[in-house]
Amino acid sequence: MLRIIQIYGTMMVAAMGQTLLLALLSLFFACLLGLFFGLLSTVRNRACNIIGAVYVDAIRGWPLIVLAYFVYFGIPMLIQGLGFKSFRMDSLQAGVIALSLNCGAYMAEIIRAGIQSVDKGQMEAARSLGLSYGKSMFKVVLPQAIRTMIPSIINQFIITLKDTSILSVIGFPELTNTTKNVSANVGLPMQAWLLCGLMYMVVIIILSKASKNIERRINRGR
Amino acid sequence: MAGNVKIHVSNLVKRFGDLEVLKDISMDVTEGEVVVLLGPSGSGKSTFLRCLNRLETPSGGQILIDGHDMTDKHTDLNKVRENIGMVFQHFNLFNHLTVMQNLTLAPVETKKATRAEAEATGRKYLEKVGLLDKANAYPSQLSGGQKQRVAIARALCMHPDIMLFDEPTSALDPEMVGEVLSVMQQLARDGMTMVVVTHEIGFAREVASRVVFMDGGYIVEQGTPEEVILHPKEPRTIDFLSKVL
Ligand SMILES: Nc1ncnc2c1ncn2[C@@H]1O[C@H](COP(=O)(O)OP(=O)(O)O)[C@@H](O)[C@H]1O
Ligand SMILES: [Mg+2]
Repeated sequence: MLRIIQIYGTMMVAAMGQTLLLALLSLFFACLLGLFFGLLSTVRNRACNIIGAVYVDAIRGWPLIVLAYFVYFGIPMLIQGLGFKSFRMDSLQAGVIALSLNCGAYMAEIIRAGIQSVDKGQMEAARSLGLSYGKSMFKVVLPQAIRTMIPSIINQFIITLKDTSILSVIGFPELTNTTKNVSANVGLPMQAWLLCGLMYMVVIIILSKASKNIERRINRGR
Repeated sequence: MAGNVKIHVSNLVKRFGDLEVLKDISMDVTEGEVVVLLGPSGSGKSTFLRCLNRLETPSGGQILIDGHDMTDKHTDLNKVRENIGMVFQHFNLFNHLTVMQNLTLAPVETKKATRAEAEATGRKYLEKVGLLDKANAYPSQLSGGQKQRVAIARALCMHPDIMLFDEPTSALDPEMVGEVLSVMQQLARDGMTMVVVTHEIGFAREVASRVVFMDGGYIVEQGTPEEVILHPKEPRTIDFLSKVL
């Protein structure tokens, strides 16, 4: 283990950096997707509700690994087939797309449930004062929904951080992929994978502690 | 004093699926009038009020608010709603905002006022409802009666010319009913046009310019408080009053 740390320590820390980059980018886009599709599921419009539900069901029905292969190998072919011959997608782009789509579906469900947990009277009171639907949603309903959503969002962030490891299959040099290479080169699989697991664990514990702090602060400020 | 018609409702129908809640309601409310709506639970009083500011979409008939056709899809509902205050049974204060923020949110967001103007107006109405000292409190720190008075002040901050009240005292402990009713009475005295759903018969007798009794989706009987409350003619009105008095 010491040998691995000595020789490959910096490489694995760098790989953890790539893992975090992938996770944070994906979480950012997942939040946007989740907000968009979560709102679609809550507005009073049948067509919007159906679009929201189809997205969630479709994505939840696909294993992430299949989605990753499809985005990485399938989408470039599709776009090249449409005439954009020089189109290329690297494994970071494909990884972010696959993971954002995946996490976005779960975020959409969390946001939909959060919005629906806010008493209908809040929206009605806001509308009765002359506020538009959008203003009522963003100024009155969502700020209250966020409170109930935070534990689920933290949980989803942790799942997504761990799901980055699945993207090792499309060759992105994140922590799991790098560990695989390290253990193949050095031949100390037990030590290499133990270190890898501990690194994930430490980062996740730090993140969840920080999130708990944020959660506490938000709940106190009322 | 036959003033302007502020609310004109003709042949209003409202269905929820197969359930026809409002069958044929017609009513005019003139400026400064205080109309008290009475009726058994489930008779569609809330639905009627909510149709007036289009929280519910009518299934038929016409509603004119200050001449604006609320059933016309070209009407800017948000704009008309700025002039119709509504007070709910369960207050519906914005729980994540302080009292003052509750009062200033709509005036600022609809660009009716700058923040400073909105706060000045907010203080004026908080004083009017006797809660100036609660400006920085959160709704969870208020009693039911205080919450409802804040809700009234919040509606007034938009300077509406019509106020709708949906059983504003029904969720209150008995000792807090008076403080809310007296704010409403003051409002009526100041000339506000009001439509009030309530079971407070004493309030209806003292404050109403007209009492309307609704049942089964129709207006069964209406007139002065004298006529409807003291000398009801319809059997259903008599039966209802004997239960609430
Ligand atoms: N959104 C709704 N969907 C279906 N039925 C409703 C809805 N709102 C009210 N109703 C029904 O309409 C009837 C009248 O309700 P409401 O207007 O609240 O009566 P009231 O305020 O006089 O007690 C009731 O039978 C109620 O169940
Ligand atoms: Mg009601």
